Amino acid sequence: MNLHKFFGLLLLCSFFMFLGLIILDNKDSDSFLSGKAFPEFNTQTLDGKNITEEYLANKTLLVNIWASWCITCLVEHPFLEDLSDEIQIVGINYKDNPEDAKAWLTKHGNFFSVNIQDPLGNLAIDLGVTGAPESFLVVNGKIVSHVIGELNQKKWEMYFAPNL
Amino acid sequence: MHPIFKFFVLTLLLSPQTLFSQSQEFKFASIEYEDRFYALTNEIRCPKCTSGSIASSNAPIAEDLKRKVYEQIVNGKTDEEIKAYIVDRYGEFADFRPSFVKWNLFLWFAPAVFLIIFGFLFFRHQN
Repeated sequence: MNLHKFFGLLLLCSFFMFLGLIILDNKDSDSFLSGKAFPEFNTQTLDGKNITEEYLANKTLLVNIWASWCITCLVEHPFLEDLSDEIQIVGINYKDNPEDAKAWLTKHGNFFSVNIQDPLGNLAIDLGVTGAPESFLVVNGKIVSHVIGELNQKKWEMYFAPNL
Repeated sequence: MHPIFKFFVLTLLLSPQTLFSQSQEFKFASIEYEDRFYALTNEIRCPKCTSGSIASSNAPIAEDLKRKVYEQIVNGKTDEEIKAYIVDRYGEFADFRPSFVKWNLFLWFAPAVFLIIFGFLFFRHQN
């Protein structure tokens, strides 16, 4: 084997490794969460009522992690509002002040069926959340798919709609 | 004061790292707990960062995960249990020291295999 062939092979290996890295480094969605049960929780809604994971049983829901301080949440808000005609949306108010969250909902519209308070982000960690916004399709208490970042039409059709 | 020294001190004082760093302070009952905390937080990848550990990041999620590691050490969990807790939520991706099973064997052995193949080809070419 001459030196040209040797470096050709090296380049080919590098290309495949780079390709593998791109495929494995898909940050839009985490497939390993699929099929897992929604974690147990016992907390309060923004309205001050008690809520547990039992609320999610026997339902098809979109669970959205959001906060009043989150700019991207405001960007995806109109899309979620349209989507709320098709699917029930449950909010998890992530590391937020309840009063700020309520004022934000009054200003921008509240289509959430319920908003779960998660002031320290503990429920979010149990869901493998890295920040806001993130969304989960939950069917009968099980996570079916997960999208990191803004949920839009493209991501909805790619990750969520096929699983409905 | 020498102008260069003044500039250096001002830069240090006004750097965003100094102004906005909000790293939590953790108090440990023993040196062993503290050592375990620093070892673990250096082995857990920050899920929001490109390739840094939670120890090296002050991203909000890294701070939250450091708090979780701290709480679990204090509550008597073993290193294995703490890592399993993180991997269960954030996947194998979060562990800088991948487990020695299944597909991870490729990660462990690929560098040695590639080195042997290319070393063999290189020396054969030289001869």
